[in-house]
Amino acid sequence: MKTIRINTLPGYEEWRDNAKSCLLNYIPPSSIIWKGAEQTQDELFKELPENSKSSARAKNEPILKVPKSFVELAQTACCHNTPERFALLYKIFWRINFENRKLLNQSLDDDLILLNKMVKEVRRDSYKITAFLRFRETVYDGREHYVAWYEPFHYTLERSLPFFTKRFRNMNWSILTPYRAAHWDGKSLFLQDNPDPSQLPEEDKIEKYWLTYYAGIFNPARVKKSAMLAQMPKKYWTNLPEAKLIPDLLQNSEAKAREMIDKIKN
Amino acid sequence: MQDKIETKLEILADAAKYDASCASGSAGKRSAGKGEKGIGSLTGGSGICHSFTPDGRCVSLLKILMTNYCIYDCHYCINRISSNVRRARFTVQEVVDLTLSFYKRNYIEGLFLSSGIIKDPDYTMESMVKIAKSLRLDHHFKGYIHLKTIPNASPELQEEAGLYADRLSINIEMPTQKGLNTFAPEKNISDITGSMGRLKDKISEHKTSKTHTGKKLPRFAPGGQSTQMIVGADASDDKTILNSSVNLYQTHKLRRVYYSAFSPIPDASLILPLKPAPLIREHRLYQADWLLRFYDFSLDEILQGTTNNMLDMDHDPKLAWALRNRHLFPIDINKADKKLLLRVPGLGALTVQKIIKARKYCSLSWSDLTKMRVPLGKVKPFITASDYRPPAYLLDMETLSHQLKQTEQLDLFGRAV
Ligand code: SF4
Repeated sequence: MKTIRINTLPGYEEWRDNAKSCLLNYIPPSSIIWKGAEQTQDELFKELPENSKSSARAKNEPILKVPKSFVELAQTACCHNTPERFALLYKIFWRINFENRKLLNQSLDDDLILLNKMVKEVRRDSYKITAFLRFRETVYDGREHYVAWYEPFHYTLERSLPFFTKRFRNMNWSILTPYRAAHWDGKSLFLQDNPDPSQLPEEDKIEKYWLTYYAGIFNPARVKKSAMLAQMPKKYWTNLPEAKLIPDLLQNSEAKAREMIDKIKN
Repeated sequence: MQDKIETKLEILADAAKYDASCASGSAGKRSAGKGEKGIGSLTGGSGICHSFTPDGRCVSLLKILMTNYCIYDCHYCINRISSNVRRARFTVQEVVDLTLSFYKRNYIEGLFLSSGIIKDPDYTMESMVKIAKSLRLDHHFKGYIHLKTIPNASPELQEEAGLYADRLSINIEMPTQKGLNTFAPEKNISDITGSMGRLKDKISEHKTSKTHTGKKLPRFAPGGQSTQMIVGADASDDKTILNSSVNLYQTHKLRRVYYSAFSPIPDASLILPLKPAPLIREHRLYQADWLLRFYDFSLDEILQGTTNNMLDMDHDPKLAWALRNRHLFPIDINKADKKLLLRVPGLGALTVQKIIKARKYCSLSWSDLTKMRVPLGKVKPFITASDYRPPAYLLDMETLSHQLKQTEQLDLFGRAV
């Protein structure tokens, strides 16, 4: 049994290099334990995969080439927070090579169902960061600087950066997440591990207008709490300034709606 | 203590919330290139929902009125001149600043601006255009802008609006002139559709033609036009409403028709119904609209067999159609063509796509469908799979209609808190 620890986050490149050499050495999925950086160091040393070049190649030579779509899927799945991601990817990688080149088309295969589910969750999480991240304005080095603290559920900071660098290209900003921060100065990105959450400014001068707006557009006569929760589950509420208004809005909605109806009757 | 902007925002956001159109429409992709000034991007698709309010609606745009003062007297409108509401008015600069400040904090995708009519239609429209123009030219704003144009404003101003806005809309309000006569005496349906027609021509001209020097014409409302109809204030039936939608989609190439169930407003005019139109009616109209646009249904098919030209309130229109055409079912999930699959209640466009892809590799069984998360409870009377046939009694009606009615009701209440 071989243990491979992927130390980087999200870890795609490291996984890929390890997976290739394991495959070239015909190490079956069942003989490898894959660990992610998020798992605590529980063994004394890390076994390195053997050098692929030295090993003799058998007839049933692995091609290593995988469909392009697999690369995309693997990159995405590596951002998932489950430590099992690397093992699953290696298993699929193995199966594509030795079992079925067209495995990816078998959308009803159990491994693929799992993979697709992970991919979907990562994509959703990457979308939600572009939606629910909130900047606060501060001054840094004499310039306007926008800072956000966001807690993604997967390792999706990197995937979302192209969105932010495009949309806010001419702004200086920092996005802090529990595992990594990205700083943008209008030209280049700088990544920093384990940032300090207290860098988030405590206040923002515009936020109160946003809260006023949010409360104002809500129609108390049409409460549909479960529809809201389906799109904006409570787990996202911590860092959404407007979320703290929700309990009150809901509580007062009936009274508000009745008040409206009373006005109408008179 | 509320400051001036907070007060205005409270009034003018509140006044805008009765507007149904919330999401941004698709206007392609764009962002500031390297070395270019400005802020913002469009990601394609219908824009990001940055938040959700407890009524389940997506918050994507800063949706406000420039002012809720109005010289008109549309009876269904809370801002009409004879209404007794608190009034406020934003300056051009205030709207520009709010939009940019919200945008920079990642609260919104852009601005959706409408307005009551102050002084006269042209004066109002001019201020709205100024806002859009300043965002685009002074601030190089590349986010989304939707302007609700003012009926009766001059064609020149409406055209100028199209140069800065991604989408323009003009509310048709009522499906018939008769409805307008009663409820919005200053408005005229042929003015409204006339302006839609002009804008349609402009939009397509800017998309396809080039200047004499071969340059592309500037963008002109690339997200097209939309409109809104109030349902249940006048006596129009669903057929009249949907007919008018079909006409708007076909003749004026509208991207979207929004339906807004009339809901009584504070300080309402006496000629209005006292009771709100049932939300379910609005819901059914959206479903029918959807079938017309994406599921290849004709209006006749949707209305076939209905009573008084009103959609069936108990079942969604697709299910109602299937119930009336029971002889076509069950269909074979492994063989039926796309058009027929799309007619199976419970199978959405996405699921149909998945089915067509998956069945290339194997014959689909019941458990395959489970894996694809097909809503089996709903589809089971209507399909066969490799190892499944519905028992004959399932399609046998009385019971089916009743049963499905119950499930949908549960669903509806399940969703409503
Ligand atoms: S013109 Fe518009 S704002 Fe004015 S009363 Fe009519 S609907 Fe209301």
